[in-house]
Amino acid sequence: METTAHIADRWGGGTCPFDAGWKKVMMWSFIVTDGLLFAGFLGGYGYARTMATVWPDQATVFTLPFIAAMTFVLISSSATMASAVWSARHNQRAAAVRYVWLTLAGAVLFLGMQAYEWTHLINEGATLSSNPWGDPLFGAYFFVTTGFHGSHVLIGAIVLLVLGINLARGRTTTENVEMAGLYWHFVDLVWVFIFTCYYLL
Amino acid sequence: MTEHADVGLKTYWVTWGILLGLTLVMVGLDQAPMSRQLFVVLMLAAMLVKATLIAGTFMHLRVERVAFVLMVVVGLFVNSLILFGLIVPDAFRILEMNQVTP
Repeated sequence: METTAHIADRWGGGTCPFDAGWKKVMMWSFIVTDGLLFAGFLGGYGYARTMATVWPDQATVFTLPFIAAMTFVLISSSATMASAVWSARHNQRAAAVRYVWLTLAGAVLFLGMQAYEWTHLINEGATLSSNPWGDPLFGAYFFVTTGFHGSHVLIGAIVLLVLGINLARGRTTTENVEMAGLYWHFVDLVWVFIFTCYYLL
Repeated sequence: MTEHADVGLKTYWVTWGILLGLTLVMVGLDQAPMSRQLFVVLMLAAMLVKATLIAGTFMHLRVERVAFVLMVVVGLFVNSLILFGLIVPDAFRILEMNQVTP
């Protein structure tokens, strides 16, 4: 248990109150601010949804088992990423590289599935300003939010590719693997909210 | 900087199983006969459990220092709650206006 003197020492300035390196603090600062961006999207979506008199029925618009499969891919990739971080921390570089490649495969698969879903909806007549199922704001919120999330997945895939190459060559640090992991778990975290609010509620 | 307590590899895969199970339950409940209010409450509860598991286990928040966790929780969740708290009443007000106005 920490004594008052220890706590005072840590908060006395010039020390390390979070007990974390600058990369981790900066990554979490990014996650908090980026999370607020998605909170804004979800808040706006809830606003539009609440005041709309006719909102499209999700069961008509989406194929839920397919979306559940997308969720399975993302959750699994989060588990492989966590395993990559664990392996890197325990000096098991070959295993860490393998897990990073598995995570990258999950990212690419998710992007492919999202592209398929978007193509299907666009062929059905959904655009940013209109759709055949109800309130025109549905398309705007759906494409912008899932598009922003998809762009995060794409960036994550690029980060994982660079990380995997550098890790295989022994040119990166465990801390960098952890930072890539934090980012990737955040992408998964955001999808948990999108999946619930856009596809189920 | 001191080394944090580690989260075991097995814990990650147990968490993965729980997340997967929760997702399947959520999808299953989508077709279950229940009131809309109960459905919304169950979905939001499952969503928060999943988010807590990801942030706590995969992102290691449960082994970080309390000050660090507070920075994240206060920064993200409290700000989000304020955002939702401000706009939800207005959304219901406009819904009522739309229902009254022909």
